[in-house]
Amino acid sequence: MSTRITNSMMTRTLLYDLQSVTERLARTQEKLSSGKELTRPSDDPFKTSRALQFRSELSINRQYQRNAKEASSWSDATDTALAQITEFGRRARDLIVQGASDSVGQNARDSIAQELTQIVDSIKTQANTQYAGRYVFSGSATLTRPYALGPSDAYAGNAEVVKVEVGPGVQVDLNTVGQSVIGDGAGGLLRTIRDAIADLQAGNGADLQTVDLSAMDTALDTITNARAIVGARQNRLESAVNRLTEIEESTSRLLSETEDADMAETLVHFSMQQAVYQSALKSGAQIIQPSLIDFLN
Amino acid sequence: MPISTFMGLQTTLRGILAQQRALDVTSHNISNANTVGYTRQEAQMAATESFTYPSVSRPPQAGQLGTGVDITGYRRIRDQFADIQFRAQTMLKGNWESVSKGLEQVELALNEPSDNGINALLGRYWNAWQDVANAPENVATRQALAQAASSLAQGFQSARSQLDTIVAQTGQNVTLTLDDVNALGAQIATLNDQIARARIVGDQPNDLLDKRDQLIDQLATFGNVTLTVGANDVVDVAVGGAALVTGNVAATIAEPDLTSLTSGKLAGLIQLRDTTLPGYVTQLDTIASTLITATNAQHALGFDLTGAAGGAFFTGADSSTIAVSAAILASPALIAASSNGQPGNAANALALAGIRQTPLIAGATIDTAYSQLVTKLGSDAQDARRQVENTTILADAIEGRRQSVSGVSLDEEMVNIVKFQRAYQASSRAMNAMDEMIELLITRTGRVGL
Repeated sequence: MSTRITNSMMTRTLLYDLQSVTERLARTQEKLSSGKELTRPSDDPFKTSRALQFRSELSINRQYQRNAKEASSWSDATDTALAQITEFGRRARDLIVQGASDSVGQNARDSIAQELTQIVDSIKTQANTQYAGRYVFSGSATLTRPYALGPSDAYAGNAEVVKVEVGPGVQVDLNTVGQSVIGDGAGGLLRTIRDAIADLQAGNGADLQTVDLSAMDTALDTITNARAIVGARQNRLESAVNRLTEIEESTSRLLSETEDADMAETLVHFSMQQAVYQSALKSGAQIIQPSLIDFLN
Repeated sequence: MPISTFMGLQTTLRGILAQQRALDVTSHNISNANTVGYTRQEAQMAATESFTYPSVSRPPQAGQLGTGVDITGYRRIRDQFADIQFRAQTMLKGNWESVSKGLEQVELALNEPSDNGINALLGRYWNAWQDVANAPENVATRQALAQAASSLAQGFQSARSQLDTIVAQTGQNVTLTLDDVNALGAQIATLNDQIARARIVGDQPNDLLDKRDQLIDQLATFGNVTLTVGANDVVDVAVGGAALVTGNVAATIAEPDLTSLTSGKLAGLIQLRDTTLPGYVTQLDTIASTLITATNAQHALGFDLTGAAGGAFFTGADSSTIAVSAAILASPALIAASSNGQPGNAANALALAGIRQTPLIAGATIDTAYSQLVTKLGSDAQDARRQVENTTILADAIEGRRQSVSGVSLDEEMVNIVKFQRAYQASSRAMNAMDEMIELLITRTGRVGL
């Protein structure tokens, strides 16, 4: 004897099928409205762990980009100040060359010395450049003004190098220490100009022509070197940003592939499930109704 | 002929009565076509004992002349084996359903992957340290860090308190389910009593048996049920090793009585409450306490904006107590970003941000450990959901088989109606014939005294 099919079996089967189709429809609808393939970890635990990892990577990547851009702005400020200092240094050298000439009288030398004193203050003003409220040349003592205007050339900052992170474990030196670029009362550009001023006032033409001029050249070289380092750093930061942007793009794409619903596919599924649902309803209405009762009287 | 003239009348009467009883059973079946737990019944007909011709030449024995039909009983048509299979499946279904529901709640509590889950909060927290490293002198970035850390701490705390709530709810659910079990036990005991009384006087209490079977079906979703059938169809019931019903006496069982609970809703809830959920809580606690310890240790090595050595950054010991130190929230200048006291030095902030990449929990970083927790939860929940689907399909298939045997088929009942109606009519017709015959005998023959 074949399997006995009872009425309650048919209604139950129909109800079960309707329910599972509705459940699938609701799930697809959720995907469509949220645009997400993953709405809870159990949708796909493996994909969820990947999505979490990509999200972490994206968040740190964006932070590194922000760090690099911040460092880049800082370097810009440093570079601008160094460019100005170079200009002032060249002007000072010209003045020294001019004052070293034996044909120049003491009066003229005194006035050159006066101008050089002004230049020292201008250089120090540049060295006191701030970026976002921080002195860029005073090492890690960023809240301390590195040079005081006036006769004292003492360096008030420190020699510490501040670093910035632009990748996992990748740190870039951020600052240029003022002392190593323009020196302090004991050496460097400032000392050289001060020496020249003393020689000018003393009328020491010989020293001006030899010692002071060569010291000036050395001091200018130091600044040029510092600028080259800043330039190289900017290039490095720029390439870091480019690399980080590329990684961000690929990670975003991977995250989207992992997490986001494929709309075309989901829509096709949706209409398929809708058709199934409707046919289940229709067949249910037709199958459940008739029985032998309709044909016997 | 020693056989009564009226014997045929009696035979047809039996036929009429039997067909009528059978029709009654059919009506009962039709009326209960949609009754849950109803088992279709059948009137069992058997020929009544034959009449013996007494004769000189043959011994007095039964078996020559039929005397009609009788209803010997009303049978429930039920497959006991399908019952056992069905209950085993609904037990597993009950188990996984409770587990799946609990885990679903945990998934909602953790809310991953999202832009506001702990994973995202951790990311924002580490980035805030980097921002401080970019401008360590700036109180605003320090303020932002304190806020990010505070959000993270709150994220941990809220996840933990939700987990705690789910544990508590699961515990309450265990108690409520035990109440249900005890209530079912009491009903089964009452039914046992009624069934025994009916059986003693020789009745077949089909509808009571149906009711009891249905109650046992319900009981099976809660735990592993052991049935021992005794005299008069009385069933002793044990759940998870605890005797629930003995004869017509129901015991009130409590959780400690369930010594050998293997599956079912109760087992699922207890496992969730005692093992699964505390496991997640422990993992979350480990992550939070590692974050607190590692951060505070590194923070103490640094110096704040005033040049003083760093104090505790986080207070608390686990995910329920983690918080940003009140002093730091009040004055973000106390964040020890510097490694030497210089305001522009942010080496300590970078070191603190670097904890993100340090494997601290069994070779995993804090972020990875958290993502492992989420993945574990995800696969547990997925597994539970699949088990629910599987056991539902299986339980449904077995229920289908049960219904195939025990369910009411209206078509079949309609055929039965026709069958019994016709038989009734035929018996009546036979009675009519008999009547006419006797009438002829009485009124037309041997007209005496006219």
